[in-house]
Amino acid sequence: MAPKADASKKADPKAQAAKAAKAVKSGPTFNRKAKKIRTKVTFHRPRTLKKERNPKYPRISAPPRNKLDHYQILKFPLTTESAMKKIEDNNTLVFIVDLRADKKKIKAAVKKMYDIQAKKVNTLIRARWNQEGLCQVDSRL
Amino acid sequence: MARIKVHELRQKSKAELLNQLKDLKAELALLRVAKVTGGAPNKLSKIKVVRLSIAQVLTVISQTQKSVLREAYKNKKFLPLDLRPKKTRAIRRRLTKHQQSLKTEREKKREMYFPKRKYAIKV
Repeated sequence: MAPKADASKKADPKAQAAKAAKAVKSGPTFNRKAKKIRTKVTFHRPRTLKKERNPKYPRISAPPRNKLDHYQILKFPLTTESAMKKIEDNNTLVFIVDLRADKKKIKAAVKKMYDIQAKKVNTLIRARWNQEGLCQVDSRL
Repeated sequence: MARIKVHELRQKSKAELLNQLKDLKAELALLRVAKVTGGAPNKLSKIKVVRLSIAQVLTVISQTQKSVLREAYKNKKFLPLDLRPKKTRAIRRRLTKHQQSLKTEREKKREMYFPKRKYAIKV
């Protein structure tokens, strides 16, 4: 056994040495996947997973009611002399309208409340808290 | 129109309440037009009544909605933020009673083995 051991010992270290030399030449195996070559100077965040919202509880218990409904938009019609003139001459109605209303909403509100199809709506802000909406009505009416 | 009684309102369903709200708002719109075009005084005085009744209907709607939501969330772990107790910001950030009462094992053992003794002096 002694000589065999000797022989194996002799063979082993030689084999080991050869293996070691090979490893050193080829580099450690876990670096085998080549180092990424970067051709640009900047580093941009790689695309990562984006999950959709899935809340465990709604932040507000119920959605708030719409506070700008038709009744709130059209406050009342104007009946000044100049407004009356507009009714006769230009076929338009003049309303005092909520400040937060836009022309589209005014058109829809007039349609809903008075069944009038407005051809064109002009608006102007009268004071910091109210707005005047001039609705031009269809000439047929 | 008769004066609205709130306890009658509370028995109505949500759809009925919303309908009533719509009617009231339409009436208010008419009254406002009358105000501008020089209406009769009995109409003008009605504006206040109608505005109040609109407020009452809206209050009933939101109160019943809130109470139903609280029922729905009763045994859930997480409540929506407006159903949680409001108190003050500082109070909400304090440790809860349970968190304050927590003790380490060491402390518990100590209290168990060496409780505070009370002695009385016999005269």
